[in-house]
Amino acid sequence: MDTTLSTPTTGPRLSHTEITNMASTYSHEWRAVCDKFNNAQDLSELESRKDPENDPFRSKYKARELLREIYCSLKNFDVGENESVNDEADQRPTEQPVDGGMEEGFGRGHCGDSPAGSRAAKLGAVEYYLGVNHVETEELSAGEEHLMNCMTLLEKCSISPENVSLFIQVRNQLGILWAGRDEIEKAQGFLETAEAMYIRYMKEDGQPPMDLTEFFVAEEKALPQQERTKRFEMAYTHTLYYLAQVYKNLEQYEKAGGYCHSTLQRQLEFNQFIPLEWAINAATLSQYYITKTLYMEGRHCLSAASVIAGLAGEVPSEAAAQESEAEAEKRDQLRQKRAEIARCWIKYCLNLLQDAKKLLEDNIGELDMDRQAELRATRLKEEEEKERGRKSAVLFGSSDTFDSICGLEEKVSCVFPVDFEEARAIFLVGQTYVNQAKEYFEMDGHVTDHIEILQDHSALFKALAFFEEDLERRCKMHKRRVDMMEPICKDLNAQYYLLVCRQLQFELAETYYEMMDLKLAVANKQDDLDAHTVKKFNHLCSSSTKFYQMFLDSVRSPEGKWPEKLEDEVLRPALVAKFRVARLHSRLISSSKTVQMENLNRALECYNFVVQYCKDNPEAKSAIETELELSEEMVSLLPLKINRIQANLASSN
Amino acid sequence: MVGDRDQRSPGIMPRAFNAVFDILQEYATKFDFKVSVYMLELYNDRLQDLFVSGAEAQSRRVEIKRNRKGLVFAQGAETKEASSAGELFAMFQQACANRHNAATKMNVESSRSHLIIGIMVESRNLTNGSVSFGKLSLVDLAGSERAAKTGAKDDQLKEANSINKSLSALGDVISALSSDLPHIPYRNSKLTQIMQDSLGGNAKTLMVVNVSPSDCNLDETLTSLIYATRVKTITNIAQRNLESKEISQLKEVIMKLKSGQPVEDEEV
Repeated sequence: MDTTLSTPTTGPRLSHTEITNMASTYSHEWRAVCDKFNNAQDLSELESRKDPENDPFRSKYKARELLREIYCSLKNFDVGENESVNDEADQRPTEQPVDGGMEEGFGRGHCGDSPAGSRAAKLGAVEYYLGVNHVETEELSAGEEHLMNCMTLLEKCSISPENVSLFIQVRNQLGILWAGRDEIEKAQGFLETAEAMYIRYMKEDGQPPMDLTEFFVAEEKALPQQERTKRFEMAYTHTLYYLAQVYKNLEQYEKAGGYCHSTLQRQLEFNQFIPLEWAINAATLSQYYITKTLYMEGRHCLSAASVIAGLAGEVPSEAAAQESEAEAEKRDQLRQKRAEIARCWIKYCLNLLQDAKKLLEDNIGELDMDRQAELRATRLKEEEEKERGRKSAVLFGSSDTFDSICGLEEKVSCVFPVDFEEARAIFLVGQTYVNQAKEYFEMDGHVTDHIEILQDHSALFKALAFFEEDLERRCKMHKRRVDMMEPICKDLNAQYYLLVCRQLQFELAETYYEMMDLKLAVANKQDDLDAHTVKKFNHLCSSSTKFYQMFLDSVRSPEGKWPEKLEDEVLRPALVAKFRVARLHSRLISSSKTVQMENLNRALECYNFVVQYCKDNPEAKSAIETELELSEEMVSLLPLKINRIQANLASSN
Repeated sequence: MVGDRDQRSPGIMPRAFNAVFDILQEYATKFDFKVSVYMLELYNDRLQDLFVSGAEAQSRRVEIKRNRKGLVFAQGAETKEASSAGELFAMFQQACANRHNAATKMNVESSRSHLIIGIMVESRNLTNGSVSFGKLSLVDLAGSERAAKTGAKDDQLKEANSINKSLSALGDVISALSSDLPHIPYRNSKLTQIMQDSLGGNAKTLMVVNVSPSDCNLDETLTSLIYATRVKTITNIAQRNLESKEISQLKEVIMKLKSGQPVEDEEV
C-alpha cells in the first residue's frame, strides 16, 4: 500500500486542461461561486450576531441557501469533463458511517492534489460548512449527514496540504457532535484520528496547509504561509482542547490534565491567548498538579501564570479609575486576577510544607530524625531523575518569556524541605504572596476571601513551627497566629459568618493549647516551674478553654439551649471540644486543693457529657471512638482522684 | 419570580412586597418600621442600578458588599425608602422598565440578565427602644429567553467553531480535574460573590431555587443549581483527628492512675 503523502509545492496544482478551462469557461462562474462563499461566511459570522431574538438563525439560514447553491454549481462544473474519473471512484462500495481512519487517506483513490482530488476537497469543504451550519442551528442529524459526506469525499483522496486541514477539522466537528449525544467513545475515535493525522502529516510533510476558507478564493488572494500555519495549528489546538474534555468526561484525569497542559502550551506558542485568561487557567492547572504532589510541574504553571499575567498590562491608577468606568473595570480585573494567582502560590507553598511534614513526622507529630535523613538521601537520588524529566516536560513560553519564567522558578524550591532553613525559605515566599493577596482582598467587601487568606497564613506558621527546633521560637510562631486571628474572631458578626467564626474559634483554641504545651515543655527542660510560668501556663490554658467554649456556645439555640441531637457537621468538632475542655480543666495548675477539686469536677462533668451523649446517640460513637474510650476511662478514674484530694483537704483541716 | 408583564399572575417578588407590609401592619403598634430597597440588574457580570435609567446606569459602578459587621451595602446604587406595598410596587415597575431598556441595547451574546432586589427593614421596638435589622434578598436568575441556542451541556464539548473564539471552557475542564483543588481562581462571578457574602451561615437563611421543568431549560436549571451549591460553603472545622501527642499523653496519665502510681497534679 502506498503510504507516502503527496508533496505538492504551495497550493493546489491545476492541470493544464483545468487552467485553460477556467480561464475561458469557468472564470466568470468561478468568481460568482467565490463571491457567494464570501457572502455565506459574512452572513454566518457577522450578520448572524445582529439577528433578532425571535429569529435568531435568520442569517444562518440564508448562508445555508448560498452554500447549497455553491454545492450544485460545483457539481455541475465538471459534469462531462471528468466523468470517467468520477465513475472509477464511484465504483467503490459505500462506506459505513464509521471513521475509516487515517489509512483511508493514504493510497487508494486520487492523489490529493489532482483535479479530481481538488474537486472532492472543494465539495467536501462545502459539505463541511453545511454541516457546521446545521449544527449551529441545532439540526444535529442533518449536520452529521453533511459532515459524514465530507469525510466520505475525502476518503477518496490521499492526504495533501490542500485537504489535511479539512480532514482534521471535520473530525473535530464530529467529535463535538457525538459528545453532544453522550457518545463519548465515538467522539474520542474521531478526535484521536485527527490527532494522529496531524502528527503524521507534520512528520512526513509539514508544509503549511491550505486553510478551509481558501477553497473559494482567487489564487492571488491565497493566505501567506505564516497565516496558514497559524490557522492549521489552531485547528490542532482545538483537537487537543476537545480531547482534554473527552478524557475528563471519561474520568481519565491524568490524560486530561496532560491535554490541558498541551493546549495551554500551544496557545502560548502560537500567540493565541488572552493573557489574564491564560494565566488563570495555568494557575488552576498548578492546583491540580499540587493535588498530585507534582510540585515541579505546579511551580512551572504558576511561574508562567505570573509572567503571562504581567503581560496583561499596567494597572490603571486610582485616579484614572475614578475618571472612567472602563478604567475602573480594568483596574479591578487586573488586580483581582493577580491576587487570585497569588493565592494559588500561597497554596503551593503551604502544601509543599505540609506534605513534607507528613513525610517527616513521627507518630506524635514531631520531626523524626531518621526520616529526615532518609528524605535527604532520597532527594539526592531524585534530583538526577528530575533533571531528565524536566527536559522532556512540556514547557511554557516563547523566547521572551522563557527567561522570566525560569527566573521566577528559581525563587522557590519544588522539593520537600527537610530542615528549618529550607522550610523557612518556602515560608517566606508564601508570606510574600499572602501580603500581595491581602492588598486586593481587603477585609470589608471581601470578608470570606480575606479570612481564607489569613487562615492560610496561620497554616504557614503552623507548618513552619514543625521544623523549628527551639521551643521558645516555636511558641512565638503560634503567638503570631493568635495575634492574627483573635481580633478578627472578635470583630466578625457571628450571625452572618457563623461557619467562619466557628473555624476561627476552633483554630484559636487549638493554637492556645499548643502554646500551653510548649510553655510547659520549656519550663520542664529548664526544671523551672516558677509562679510566673504557672500564671502564663494557666492563662494559655484558660484562653484555649474560652475559645472551645465559644465554639460550643455557637451550637446552642438562640435561647441558649443545647440541641437534643447535634447536626452532622458539628457532631465531631463539638464532642472533641468538650473532650478538650475536660482535659484543659484538669491541667490547670493550682496550689489550692479546693481549686484543684473544682477544676477536676468540671473536667469530670465534661467527660461525662461526652459519654452520656454517646449513650443517648449511639450513632455518634464512630465519630469520636478514641476520645470516647478515654472519656470513659476518665469518668471512672477521676472520682477516685477527687475523693483523695477531698480526703486530704479534710484531714488537713 | 416577577410574574407576567401585566401582573395578572404576579410572581414571588410582587407578592413579597405585599407580604412584607402586611406583616409590618400587624406589628405597627409595637414597632416603628423603616423600609428601604435597592433594585439591581446583573448581566455580563456587571451590576447596574435599576433606579437609574439608560446611559447613566451604564456609567455607574455598583458593587454589593458585606462588611465584617454584617452590614450589607450596595455601593454605588441608590437605596429608596418605601412606606407602603404600593410604593414598593411602583418602584418595582420603574425598575423593570429600566431593565427592559437595558435589554434591547444588549449585545446578542449576553442574554442572561438577573434581577436582584434587596428589601431592608429596620425596626425599632417602641417599648424598649432596641433596634434590629432584617433583609429579604430576592434574586431572579433568569434563563435565556431566546428560543435559540440552548448552550452546551456539561457533557457536551464546549466548542470553538470560529477559529478565533477563545477556548473559554478550558477553565471548566481544568477545575474539574480534581474535586479538591486547593484554590479555584475562577468562580468569583458577581453572582457567587453576592450569594456568598450576602447570605452568611445562619440557619434562618433560606434559598429557594426556581427551576423550569422543561428540558429545553436544562442548561439554566443546571446553572441555577450549581450556583446554589456553591453558596453552601461546607468546610471542616476540626480538620484532623486529635493530635496524637495529646492522646498519648492522656493515655499515659490513665495508665498511671490505674496502676495507682502517684500522678503530679499538673499532669492529670
